[in-house]
Amino acid sequence: MFEALEMGATGLTAQRVRMNTIANNLLNIDSIENAQGQNIPFRRRLVTFQPGSPTDPKKPGVHVAKIEEDQSPFRRVYEPGDKKHADAEGYVLHPNVNLEAEFVNMLEATRAYEANVTMMETTKSMISSSLRLLA
Amino acid sequence: MFMDHILNSGSTPLLQKMMDFTAARHDLIAENIVNISTPGYVQKDYSVANFQHRLQDRLASSQRSGNGSPRFDDIQPTLGDSNTGMLFHDRGNRSAEQMMSDLSSNALRHNLYAELLRKQFDSMKSVLSERV
Repeated sequence: MFEALEMGATGLTAQRVRMNTIANNLLNIDSIENAQGQNIPFRRRLVTFQPGSPTDPKKPGVHVAKIEEDQSPFRRVYEPGDKKHADAEGYVLHPNVNLEAEFVNMLEATRAYEANVTMMETTKSMISSSLRLLA
Repeated sequence: MFMDHILNSGSTPLLQKMMDFTAARHDLIAENIVNISTPGYVQKDYSVANFQHRLQDRLASSQRSGNGSPRFDDIQPTLGDSNTGMLFHDRGNRSAEQMMSDLSSNALRHNLYAELLRKQFDSMKSVLSERV
């Protein structure tokens, strides 16, 4: 049963990484330039999980396999006043971050994190009831 | 011989075996829960009914033959069909509700068996203390 606690830790770590990535997407929802000041908007990041412990994929658990960029098109917003960023037609490219989708993902990550915590609490109660046999 | 008879008779070995089963099943349910967001992950579970039937059969056959206390060491849990019928677009069949209800029911069973076993040990202790 101690294995379940280790597994729970891998689940918590994976969900935290997912939450950090969602937070990064939300923070950059209006970043229309990259770090070098070029006219390239921020691309949304996606986290992909795979079964298996991060240290040994043969062991049960979960780990973050990759964090990749979402290749969907950028949002085009009509802002002719922004001479620096607008194209010839007056459209400015904005990050492909969708606020609603990020909120839904955030809720899912929170619930998954809570499920892991509940599982670890249950594991602790089972271990302590087994240990009471010694007393 | 005396201690072996006390520890391996009655419901004690059966309770021990059920506790082993619930502990093993808990690890499997934990694996399902940590993979709740993993694309393509298919839930796994041990069949409780199948395991209990095999224990019951062993108990009944040993009672019929009158060979004394039955042994359950060779009875191992087997993976059951955990297909919930719901398949996500990523080919996974994860069901948070089923996982959490399995988790709590399995933990309750485990705690119940542990408590029953503890009561048995307490009875043994009181009997032994009377003898000395």
